[in-house]
Amino acid sequence: MRIPILILILGMGIVTFLPRFLPMAFLTRWLIPERVKMGLGYIPIAILSAIVFPILFFNEGAEVEIQPHYLLSAIPVFIFAWRVKSLWASVVLGMLVYWGLGFFLQ
Amino acid sequence: MDNHQFKEGVKAALPIVLGYLPVGMAFGVLARKAGLTTFEVGLMSLLVYAGASQFIAIEMISKGISWFPIVIATFFVNLRHLLMSSTLSLYFQKNRVRTFGLLSAQLTDESFAVAMSNTSKVTNRPSYLFGLQMTSQLAWIAGSIGGALFGKLIDHKEYGIPFALPSLFICLLVIQINKVRHLWVMVIAGISSIFFKWAFPGNWSILLTGLLASGIGMVIEAAWRDKR
Repeated sequence: MRIPILILILGMGIVTFLPRFLPMAFLTRWLIPERVKMGLGYIPIAILSAIVFPILFFNEGAEVEIQPHYLLSAIPVFIFAWRVKSLWASVVLGMLVYWGLGFFLQ
Repeated sequence: MDNHQFKEGVKAALPIVLGYLPVGMAFGVLARKAGLTTFEVGLMSLLVYAGASQFIAIEMISKGISWFPIVIATFFVNLRHLLMSSTLSLYFQKNRVRTFGLLSAQLTDESFAVAMSNTSKVTNRPSYLFGLQMTSQLAWIAGSIGGALFGKLIDHKEYGIPFALPSLFICLLVIQINKVRHLWVMVIAGISSIFFKWAFPGNWSILLTGLLASGIGMVIEAAWRDKR
């Protein structure tokens, strides 16, 4: 194992661990104001939207460009998830739809 | 450690495993191409365990960039976990710092979102979260080592693999939306994430959107409560 790679991995590990660890370790010991709790309640929606929407509207070079393959696959998954709310079934459906669409979109 | 909770957590990780195995394999393949050994690939997935930043690191390594800029980039890419860790802190009281150390080390976008899809299972149940996250990381490590070893046999852009994790995120997002104001926050977050990603290249959009949209959510909810 090469030393620079080891330093790299340890460095990445430490800077990734700290933002994961510090809030959980210390906020649990403090009283959090009601308003802040209200805001934290929206973090899952905010973060998930910030992950999902750019996938549909950015290309691999991080430029704005509608991604028809992703967009057309997302619609049935969205509707299915709305009705069934099953995570693993949504994943399987999404993969099948994406795979199937690949034959038409090329 | 509560065995029953742990097992529930393991089961809840199934959809994440479906996504992590192929994406982990893709990482293993690319990391080998960039010159990492299989052992180094496994070690990175064990000690860093953060998908996006691992892919970025591989990209930078293959361009010959030294460790320091890569660590700085990793820090900024993973700063978004501050928000998730803060949110999770609401669901745990009276635990040891050691427990939080273990739980927080394995926090990812996916495990956070699955945990938040049913908060009653998480509230003061660290064993559940541990089972969920342990299983997820095992899948990530297994995928990356598998990719490093046998990568040449599989093309990770084939089949439905590129859409596995997006499907998971879409379903997780839908599960979060129970009220009209949630839908508003989703629309605001969606538009602002596209704007931020366009305006600030790099990986600021998740953090900025998280702060902005949750702030707006708070204002909407506070106004709604005042009206009643």
